[in-house]
Amino acid sequence: MILSINPSIKAFAVLVPGVLLGLTYDVFTPLLYFIFILAVTFTMTDIPILRWMKFFTPFLILALSFAWMTVLYANQTFSNGEVVFTLWNLEITTGSIQTGISLALRSLCFGALSLMFILTTDSTKLMLSFMQQCKLPPKITYGILAGYRFLPVFRHELEVLRQAHRIRGVSRARGIKGRVNQFRRYAIPLLANGIRKAERVSVAMESKGFTGDTDRTHYHKMTVGKRDWLFLGMMIGFLIAVFALSYYLGYLRIFGRKF
Amino acid sequence: MEGTSSGDIFFLGENIRGFEKGELTQEIGIVFQDPETQFCMITVEDELAFTLENRKIPSSEIRGRIKAVLKAVGMEDFEKNKIHELSGGQKQKIALASVLLLEPEMLILDEPTANLDPVSSLEFIELVEETQKKRQMSVLVIEHQADDWIKLIDRVLVIGRYGQLLADDMPERLFTEQKQLLEREGVFFPGGYSNSPAFRERWTRIGPTEENVLSVREVSFSRRKQEVLKNVNMDVRGGEFVVIVGENGAGKSTLLQLMAGLLEPVEGDISLFNHPLRKWQEIDLRKRMGFVFQNPEHQFITDTVYEELTFGIKVNGYGEEAIVTAADELMELFHLKEHRHSNPFSLSGGQKRRLSVATVLDETPDILLFDEPTFGQDAATTSELMDYVIELKARGMAIVFVTHDMDIVDATDRVVVLKQGEAAFSGNPASLWEKGELLREARLRLPVRLRKRQWEGELYDPIH
Repeated sequence: MILSINPSIKAFAVLVPGVLLGLTYDVFTPLLYFIFILAVTFTMTDIPILRWMKFFTPFLILALSFAWMTVLYANQTFSNGEVVFTLWNLEITTGSIQTGISLALRSLCFGALSLMFILTTDSTKLMLSFMQQCKLPPKITYGILAGYRFLPVFRHELEVLRQAHRIRGVSRARGIKGRVNQFRRYAIPLLANGIRKAERVSVAMESKGFTGDTDRTHYHKMTVGKRDWLFLGMMIGFLIAVFALSYYLGYLRIFGRKF
Repeated sequence: MEGTSSGDIFFLGENIRGFEKGELTQEIGIVFQDPETQFCMITVEDELAFTLENRKIPSSEIRGRIKAVLKAVGMEDFEKNKIHELSGGQKQKIALASVLLLEPEMLILDEPTANLDPVSSLEFIELVEETQKKRQMSVLVIEHQADDWIKLIDRVLVIGRYGQLLADDMPERLFTEQKQLLEREGVFFPGGYSNSPAFRERWTRIGPTEENVLSVREVSFSRRKQEVLKNVNMDVRGGEFVVIVGENGAGKSTLLQLMAGLLEPVEGDISLFNHPLRKWQEIDLRKRMGFVFQNPEHQFITDTVYEELTFGIKVNGYGEEAIVTAADELMELFHLKEHRHSNPFSLSGGQKRRLSVATVLDETPDILLFDEPTFGQDAATTSELMDYVIELKARGMAIVFVTHDMDIVDATDRVVVLKQGEAAFSGNPASLWEKGELLREARLRLPVRLRKRQWEGELYDPIH
């Protein structure tokens, strides 16, 4: 379902909650929205849970380490409340724990939103939509698409270079100077080849009649329909509802200020 | 691109400088050499639509035109396929299809078959012939090997090494009357006109020794769950010249990398002098085995030719004197003396090739592995490289080539044919040439020497 939402609208629907949630410093607001994102992800897309978990684990680890650092080194403004325990000389207060958990939840929200976007969006359609809805110039969008095709090529080149250098015994060069030289040895041929390839692709694109002109027909028409607006409305509407509920219950804190 | 130009080029009587941006490119379609760098979209359909969108064809017509052009190049039902998953030959057909959508007056093909296996290359040429007949457009082909194009071409232009136009004639006259000129410029003669001896007749053959240098035992290899090699066995003896052939994607380069210890087999063993590769010390292994990559630039690691040649010797800890003599010898042997202080990247194609071979010879290895070393080289460079290789073989080094060049195959001691990851044949080239069915299945061809004989009576036709 989310798969067929217009990519530009989807990007907007994911970006707005992501940014606004970043301002909340309480636990309740991001927690509720996080549950909502999970519900949307697993009911409205067909991403297998295991695949999702695989991508989400790094976000989880990152969020936990953020939280732990914040708990230990919370800013004066947030480290109020009772001291729960002390670790060496650091006093851990309820305030700092709360701030830490909130930060972790915000990071998780951002991670889950990004995943929902990335796993349901086709790169070609995203660029076509940016071109048709956001009026991004074709030079940029087709440039990005052509560049996207290069990523696996670069990985292959790097592998070949490593092999070639292994044959030449480069790994046997010792010391810091050797290491610096090694980096240079990888960088120069990679860049030289990259430039050469980019030049070839641009010549090939031009020879197919591409001029960068915005006046072109579109084989895949990217349209914005009722469903797209509904999706945007749902994502932002729920965000407002969560903020309102959280305010009503007295949990809402923005930048440490309680409302 | 950088550079300066002067003079005028006219298209249908009009100076090309007078054309609007993008106007001329719709009249002249170009297919380039490298199948990897001519596309900007992910699927076949999108790539073809890209051309049509550029021409502002109404979107309702696009689907029909894509279907029609795919049918014309024999790639029906490939619309939704991803371009990077296609074979080299299929990619070139898509590249041709996308320029045909421009409905050009003229087609320029820039070494379009250089990256293809022999049969794919022949298929592409037939496709061009068919298209040309149907659409009656002018075709300009830029090629090292005129061989397979010869029955299509009306006129041949020869450009000399300093960029001047040396000849402009009908092929029949050019290849019979201008032989000296062409030989001097290192141009490949099409088989029918060539009377220079084939590689196999130029070299005195020295049989291999009995000693087993490298042995591959029941080796399998897979990449991302996809089986690349299945249960491959082969041996390389001292002073033996072995070639590995097969269609694009058959696993040739993978096998060579396994033999060099650059990859580890999933199953099976590879040993050098009866000692498994993984038990060798890296430093000793590299002294006894050389590997020449397809692209010589990948191997260059220093700023001058001299440093490049001495890098390995220095790392191995030899004295100053030994280093100087070894470098001098190599520069002498490979005609690189006057380029001593040049940057390796600034050399010509042939010089780069020579340098890349020279750099692996610093320690007199026992076995040399080459990954498509003659790829994209002209006749002079190819035959020069082959002469060096044969000299090394005569010194007792074992040589292993991965190549598509059937004339080189013809001159070797043994051929290993890979077909879908399996060694389908191992034996001398003469007995391979008798196996018509295998040649067809592995998408190989006969060498020019034998094709020449067949010009009268078609014995073996690789496609039909």
